[in-house]
Amino acid sequence: MEARRLLQSTLYFLVPVGLLLLGWEILSQSKIIHPALFSSPSEIFRTLYRLLQMESPTGQSLLLVHIYSSLHRLLIAFTVALASGLGLGLLMGWNNHIYRFLDPLVTVAMPVPGLAWTPIFVLWLGFGELPVIAVGALAAFFPIVYNMAAGVRSVSKKLIWLSRSMGANRKTIFLKVFLPWSTPYLFTGLKLGLARGWRTIIAVELIAGALSGLGFMIFDAREYGHSYIIYGGIMILAGIYFLVENVIKWAEKHSIQKWGMVRS
Amino acid sequence: MEKKTKEKLVKSFYFLFPFLSVAVALELLIDFGVISTKFIPSPSVMAKTLFELATHKPPPPTLFDHVFGSLYRLILGYGLGVLIGISIGILLGMNKVLHRSFSPILSLFISIPTVAWVPLLLLTPLSGDETIVIAVFLGSFFPIVYNTMNGIRGVGKELIWASQIMGAGNTAVFFDVLLPGSLISIITGLRLAIGYSWRALVGAELIAQAWISEGAGYLIFGAMFGGHPEVIFAGLVIIALGGFLLDRLIMDPLERKTIEKWGMVKER
Repeated sequence: MEARRLLQSTLYFLVPVGLLLLGWEILSQSKIIHPALFSSPSEIFRTLYRLLQMESPTGQSLLLVHIYSSLHRLLIAFTVALASGLGLGLLMGWNNHIYRFLDPLVTVAMPVPGLAWTPIFVLWLGFGELPVIAVGALAAFFPIVYNMAAGVRSVSKKLIWLSRSMGANRKTIFLKVFLPWSTPYLFTGLKLGLARGWRTIIAVELIAGALSGLGFMIFDAREYGHSYIIYGGIMILAGIYFLVENVIKWAEKHSIQKWGMVRS
Repeated sequence: MEKKTKEKLVKSFYFLFPFLSVAVALELLIDFGVISTKFIPSPSVMAKTLFELATHKPPPPTLFDHVFGSLYRLILGYGLGVLIGISIGILLGMNKVLHRSFSPILSLFISIPTVAWVPLLLLTPLSGDETIVIAVFLGSFFPIVYNTMNGIRGVGKELIWASQIMGAGNTAVFFDVLLPGSLISIITGLRLAIGYSWRALVGAELIAQAWISEGAGYLIFGAMFGGHPEVIFAGLVIIALGGFLLDRLIMDPLERKTIEKWGMVKER
């Protein structure tokens, strides 16, 4: 029964996507849609394969180098955002004065598109690798800080009184009440932060003059009018995001859902 | 009444105080030479720049041209996203076969950062303005379709059966049951979408900067090449304010006027 359901949902995924690709291929091959702008899927896949085979100046696969540098930047940016966001979020949740001071700043800065910070960071750090990582970290930082603070603040006073009256000290309350209670919020923040960091890094790669990365690959292909590379890049972007999202879903299922702490 | 205005004053003071104190601290640090103005302009210079951009007309794209240029693209792209997104969302929500075949494609498309489409659009004969409007449209379209679809599907079958038994025709079921029942979800989608659109707008303006002649993104990207941090910060203030006001002046009242009035807000 379980296997049948899995098969069914796989089919429901593959058939529509397959039909979409097939229709696109036919329309492109028959030149009903402009083949230079709507490269056929077969050409896109051939290009991706060629890029995978092609050697970069350092002797590795060109496509893998692009993927790797984007992911590498994401990893650094996300680590920085996580450490600072978690710390500041805990502080904001723990102390009401700090919260009152920082909350308006975060509320106004959070909706600013990550990409909009690029010009000032380029002015500060120059073109290249650094502004990409800095802007990515900033974009990922806000959702983490916001949700972490909200999570700590959501802990009910009664719960704290209760544990205090049962003899828990500050350390125990922090570790056994505040942290587990705010984990679901933290997960929300991490998910949003990771998504925003990823989107922002790809976007900043488009304009900040980094010489590798998927965003750079797409932007560079535009200069030469290679639409099939742009499509290939977009497909890889979608694929990576899809994969990461499912990994997070899995992690969620095996941690907070198990602990019975999922927010409805 | 007295008490209410006082409460409001205290609240806005608490909101403004952090901005004022950061500005004063920054001004002092710059005055004492701790921070160089090469990197960050003093708040007074920032305010002066904003004022000059707004009042001194001479160089053709004034601050108002930038703001209205951006707003025009936003309204057009978002409007299209709302119209087409809600219609397609309703269609996908009401038909099971359509839903099952399109939701995987939808979830793949949602995974693509909107601005990644911009280089592709710039290859086409479309103008810079059209490219940005399409990017804004793409940014709003997917969250709206997704949330509308889920909203329609979330309406309980019992409700539909009950109204049918009581003699409601298809039109009545649609307008009196399905639409109000999915309203919370649709409004959530609209709210998410305005944020996505705003981001797509500024991002697309940055990337397509060479194809356009005004807009908030255009302003700050140009200032980067000119090396004018005060203009970049002035632009960032405008962008932050724009996002904030869109949410407070449009989405908040919309939510109040519709769902809260109908008593359909979820428990917080």
